[in-house]
Amino acid sequence: MKYGVMRPGHVQIRVLDLDEAVRHYCDLMGMIEMDRDDQGRVYLKAWTEVDKYSVVLKESDEAGMDFMAFKVVSEDVLDTLRHKLVDYGVAVTDLPADELKDCGRRVRFTAPTGHQFELFASKLQTGKWGINKVNPEAWPRGLQGMAVTRFDHCLLYGPDVPGTTRLFQEVLGFDLGERVITPDDSQTLIGSFLTVGMKAHDVAFIEHAEPGKFHHASFFLETWEDVLRAADLISMTDTPIDIGPTRHGLTNGRTIYFFDPSGNRSEVFANGNYHYPDHEPVTWTADQLGKAIFYHDRVLNERFLTVLS
Amino acid sequence: MINNNKECDQAARAHQIRVVNASKGFVSREDTNLLVSMERANQSHVLVGCRGGGCGKCRIQVLEGDYQSKKMSRAHIHPGEPEQGIVLACRIFARSDLTIQPLAAEH
Ligand code: FES
Ligand SMILES: [Fe+2]
Repeated sequence: MKYGVMRPGHVQIRVLDLDEAVRHYCDLMGMIEMDRDDQGRVYLKAWTEVDKYSVVLKESDEAGMDFMAFKVVSEDVLDTLRHKLVDYGVAVTDLPADELKDCGRRVRFTAPTGHQFELFASKLQTGKWGINKVNPEAWPRGLQGMAVTRFDHCLLYGPDVPGTTRLFQEVLGFDLGERVITPDDSQTLIGSFLTVGMKAHDVAFIEHAEPGKFHHASFFLETWEDVLRAADLISMTDTPIDIGPTRHGLTNGRTIYFFDPSGNRSEVFANGNYHYPDHEPVTWTADQLGKAIFYHDRVLNERFLTVLS
Repeated sequence: MINNNKECDQAARAHQIRVVNASKGFVSREDTNLLVSMERANQSHVLVGCRGGGCGKCRIQVLEGDYQSKKMSRAHIHPGEPEQGIVLACRIFARSDLTIQPLAAEH
């Protein structure tokens, strides 16, 4: 939070069929539909989130991610960061309030990896879903499927991970929590896991020739048992699986990967490393990438590296 | 919540899928996409990715036969290609016996 960026705010995901996508994110994963707009977009939240929504689904004839946004602490900070981006040589686009329902103005920019990011300061807060603001119960009854607790991070593939990492560190105040470097003397950064708080990552990048590719959006669960239960639900619904349940070396999370009905990868995970600003980045070398990604198998499946939307 | 229990009692019609230059084909039910049918038959003529029409790994050309398709990402199936039978195996459902040819994945 060094420069006032607080947390991931939302991600807009392109889907080929809206109804199928809503069944995936709501019936299977347990998000809650909060609203729709006149562009046909559907707004979803996970139950512990205080803002009105964190995932926006948009029907399109191409899968992938439109943009990911971070919430900053105030409108003043939004202005400051906008200027810092411009001074750094990054082109920004201003989106008016309510272009996304109940969201304040947003400042959009494109990272060297080709992904669109946004900063915003205001969004309607509806509070945690299904429990009272005062004297809250432990959790709400009536959650569906995996009952994910929050939208946690995205992993994105594109070129120039070192440049993108510098931008996020120097302009937006992210810390490099974990990283993958080449084992040679150049120690080139090819994987970058960036955080604005104590989480292991709020956004991550892996070096890839083609710009703007979406690897996954990830959602948090409390326990390993919840991850196993998610795996059962994936089988019960014949949802395409990628890999898991397993553990990541990087971030140390316990995880499972699967696909939405448009081929966008989803992750649910539990546990994992924490980060303080005085921590050295946790470092893995590219020759150990198998173990870094899939700690038990210790080999990368081709799909992890090349199946993107 | 939808699960698969309902599928047990209604056998969908099934069709024979021939693969060019392969000795063995596989059977595909009308309610199961071609890629998943191939996986269930333990075969690997076509690359398997997201199984949802998003990644472009499973491009094939259907040389013969009828099928129904769901929407396919225009990043991987270009205008004019469906007319030549170029499709994503994970988005089509056989409506007759088919002859298919695996294609290289698109990037
Ligand atoms: S497997 Fe990804 S498009 Fe078919
Ligand atoms: Fe992840």
